[in-house]
Formats: sequence, C-alpha cells, structure tokens
Amino acid sequence: MTQLPLGLRVAAHVGASLVLAFLMLPILAVIPASFNEARFIRLPPEAYSVEWYGAFAVDQEWRSALWNSFWVAAWTTLLSVVTGTAAALGLSRLPQRLNLALMGLFLAPLIVPLIVTAVAIYRTALDLQLNSTFAGLVLSHAVLALPFVVINVGIALRAVDETWLQAAAGLGAAPWTIFRTITLPTLAPGILGGGVFAFITSFDEFTVSLFMVGYQTKTLPIKIWEAVRFEFTPAVAVAATVIIVLTILLFALAMAVNRQQGEART
Amino acid sequence: MTNTGLPLQLSAVSKRYEQVAALRPTDLTVDAGEFVTLLGPSGSGKTTLLNLVAGYAEPTSGQVRLGDRDITWLPARHRNIGMVFQSYALFPHMTVGQNVAYGLKVRGRPKQEIERRVDEVLAIVQLSGLAERSVRKLSGGQQQRVALARALAIEPDLVLMDEPLGALDRQLRKSVQLELRRLHDAHRRTTIYVTHDQEEALVLSDRIVVMRDGGVEQIGTASELYDRPANAFVAGFIGESNLLPGRVRATASDRAEMEVPGLGCRVSAGASDGVAAGGEGSLLIRPEHLELRSDGGIPGVVEETVFLGELQSVRVRLETGERLWLRRLAAPTLPAGESIRIGWQPERLRILAPA
Repeated sequence: MTQLPLGLRVAAHVGASLVLAFLMLPILAVIPASFNEARFIRLPPEAYSVEWYGAFAVDQEWRSALWNSFWVAAWTTLLSVVTGTAAALGLSRLPQRLNLALMGLFLAPLIVPLIVTAVAIYRTALDLQLNSTFAGLVLSHAVLALPFVVINVGIALRAVDETWLQAAAGLGAAPWTIFRTITLPTLAPGILGGGVFAFITSFDEFTVSLFMVGYQTKTLPIKIWEAVRFEFTPAVAVAATVIIVLTILLFALAMAVNRQQGEART
Repeated sequence: MTNTGLPLQLSAVSKRYEQVAALRPTDLTVDAGEFVTLLGPSGSGKTTLLNLVAGYAEPTSGQVRLGDRDITWLPARHRNIGMVFQSYALFPHMTVGQNVAYGLKVRGRPKQEIERRVDEVLAIVQLSGLAERSVRKLSGGQQQRVALARALAIEPDLVLMDEPLGALDRQLRKSVQLELRRLHDAHRRTTIYVTHDQEEALVLSDRIVVMRDGGVEQIGTASELYDRPANAFVAGFIGESNLLPGRVRATASDRAEMEVPGLGCRVSAGASDGVAAGGEGSLLIRPEHLELRSDGGIPGVVEETVFLGELQSVRVRLETGERLWLRRLAAPTLPAGESIRIGWQPERLRILAPA
C-alpha cells in the first residue's frame, strides 16, 4: 500500500469525518431530544428527564405500535429467510443466463421506486382483500426484505465447495442430510446477515406500511408519523431512539457473529 | 492375509459430454484387495472413470459391478465406496473426529461404536489424540490423513483416491506414498488410485492402467509396462526412454527387424503388438541399457553430463546427428566434446508401434 503524504492523510480524515457528521448528526440528535422534560421537543433540552420514556412505556397506542412492529418484523424475517434461502439455492443451480435474469426480478424491489412498489402492492392487496390485515403487512414487507436475503445467502453459497457435497454423498448421506449438516452450517453467516437486514427493513419500513396498515396493525414508524403531525411530544423522539438503538444492536450482533465465524475459519 | 473389499468390474463403460468422448468404451477388472492405479496426463479420462465408479457421474453406456451387485445406476450414497479427494474435501466446520465419524453417523450407528471406530481409524493413520482438533488447524499432510481416515471409517468395499498427494510437497509425498503402501499391505482393501505421477504409480500399484485421450493404452504390472510397453506413448510415460523412429522390414512371431536411420543400421529385437512389416515403428532403448565401450559399438561425442547423485546421465550425439541419453553409475564426469563409443544389450531393446 502506498502511504499518502501526512497533509493529505489529515485532510482525508477531516473530510471523511465531516461527511459522516453531516449524515449522522441529524439522526443522533433524536437521542438527546428524547430526554426532554418539556412537553415539546426542544434542542438542546432545557432540562433532562426520562419522563417521556415512562410515558412511552405506559401509552397503549405506542405500546401496541411497538408490539405490532416487532411481530411484523419477526414474521417478515422468518418468511423472507426461508423463501430467500430457497430462492438463492435454486438460482445457483440454474444456467448462468436464467440465473441473471431471475436475479434481476428478485432484486427489483430495491431498484423500483418505493412508492411505485407500494401502490402496486396496495392495488394487488385490494383484490386479495389483504389490506389492513396482519398477513398483508407481513407479505408486503417480505417483498422488500427478500432481496437482502437472496443477496446475502447467494454470496455465502459461493463458499460451499461442490466436493464437500460429493464427499458427504459418498459417505452415505441422503440429500436432506447433506443440506442440514453441510450446506446449512456453511450458509449460516449469510442467512443471519440476510435475516438482520430483513428484520430492520421491516422494522423501519414506512412507505409501503402507510398503504397497508389498518387501525389494528399500526406499526411504530406509522405511529411516529401520526404523532409528529398531531402531537410532536418527546415521545416521538423516544420511539425514534428505540428504532435507532435496535438497528445498531442488530448490526453489531450480526458483525460479532460473523467475526467469530471468520476467526474460527482461519 | 485376508482381502477386505470387493472386486470391481467395468464392462464397456463410456462417458460422453455433448459431442466429446470423456471416456471411450472401457473394460477393467480389479480383483478383491488389489491396488490399481490409473495413470495418464490430464484429460486422459482417469478422473471421469473414477467418478463413474464413485457414482458422481452417470455412464453413457456400459455396466459397473462391485462384487455381485450392478451399481451402474445406484446413487453414490448407497455404494459404500470410500473416496479421497484431491482437495481432501474435509468439512471445515467440523473437528477431525466429526469428519471421520460422519459416514458412521449418517448410517445411524450407535454412539459407542462410532467412537471406537473413529479411535481405531485415527490410530491407523497415526493421528490419535487429534480428534478434537479443528481440521482447519491441520497441516496439509495431516488433512490428507484425515481424508483417508474418513474414507476408511465406513469399512468401504472399495477405496478411490483422486490424486491424493497432489497438494503435498515432494518430501512429504514420498513418505505418504510409503505409508499408503504399508496401509494397503496391512489391510488389502480394493483400491483404485488416480495420478499423473509415474513414480507414485510404480511405488504403490499392483497393476497400472495407462490412459490417454479417454481410453486405456495398456494394463499391466509396473515391470510389464516398463519392460514390454505396448507403444511409444506408454514407453515415454513410464521411465526414461530413447525412442528412435524407423521402418519395419520384417516380423516373425514376436520379433521384428527394423531399419533405424538414427543409428545408421538395422536392429532386430522383440516387438510389441501392432508392429507390421513395411510400417512405421519406434525403437526403444532405455538409457540404462546403453553403455560405454572401449572398442566396438558406434562412435559418438559427449554433449553434456547431468549429475543425478548416485547416477549420471550422459547425452551423446551420434554421427548421424541422433542424440541419445545414456545412464550409468556415477563416475568422473565426461567432458563435453569427448569422443566415445557406445553399445547396447541387444536383448533389452524393444520395437514398438508408433504412439
């Protein structure tokens, strides 16, 4: 590696830090805002308190929104991990051209503008009478989460050596046993990574949810949106903080597990 | 010594990929307890043949029998064949013990029996005490032993090895060769071994199958292939050789007389099948069958001398312009340009069909 001159290196660090600050500070500003004592969000707060955390915790609507978000994300994760892993395995066995064409189809939700996807899902759900239902919400989130699983598992699949599967078969293992004992353990980091992405995608999904939620299935981001328009209490900041912290924790977990796996591997 | 393992019989087995014949119709019989090596350059069809026997590929035609069972269409998992891969194909997320136990575990053997068998096999390959070790922490030679132990653990009726020493350095390769030989002598399990290394084939095998372009060139013991190669290709692949082209003048039973322009004379010698009067032929002179003469023989000039430890190789240019390698026990180096006379032992020459 070539070493840049000291001046340039300092400039690069300062520049990168500024960009990072520009991206992160508005998001992180939510955290001190959540510790306001006042009834309105002030920044910086005049007085600090955890009062609004208490309010958030006892408010029936916030609680049910958090609860809904959690369950929708959990089912979305399960659904997209199972179908996405199956899809990645299937894709890997197709001829190159078909593989690429179908891959484009699976990744479409990442490329098509979200609002277009949202309207399309909404229109389809009307015909199937899935609007405002829990199942409809999970299915629509799974559409958005699926590409992350397909990508992550697809990358992990490259680590599976064909001769391992041959060796296992030669030792007497049936196809399902081979999948369970050889393929799946090798894919585990990819499945975990895809699962974390799927969970987070669902947990902070807003646009599609706006079309799909009903009164009973309101999720946290939707509740935040309503609260911002009607109340704007620091409880909104508390809810946002919950999302941010959960996201960071999940990513940290996934990275820690992958690092551990990586160390065991070398 | 009891033979463990079953005899294998291939009848007219072939394999085509699209329009390419990876293996032409081939017959091969391996006796119970025999160690047979498939020897040939890459693309000669030896790995294809191995995959057909293992069940990793399906033949285009022909029949494969193991013992008295027809296994041609039997899935690999029902064949009870132990395979050692060139890359070892160890399961990286498992320990040594788990790798070796895998075949027994999927057979649903009782836990105690598995443990006993794993200990037993690890002892055979001299890896006792390493069962808990991660396979990623092993050296190449140790991984190779684990692969062998894993294949032996299932008490296979047949052991297949696909260039198992290819990834090892030369020193290690030699000791593992002798190790494999010792193991086979002790257990006499039917074994088919694939390699492109002639030395490996000579050290290990009861019989060698020389392959080229998807077909068998010759099958025989090491000394049969060395002393009586079927053609110039086999002669060139096994051992060192001087091959001189010429025209066959006459044949009688298993002998022939050939005009050899490179030597400037006619030579009469034992001939292989396919040598016909009036056709092309190749005269085989092994370098160790050439000798220096003080008188008689034919004159030549030393071009170079190569030091080989206990032996030395001398390249001699004859008056016809032909160059021959001569091999002899180490002696004071012959200087380049020195005039010498060389001769041969006529009964050791062979006339071969062209490659």
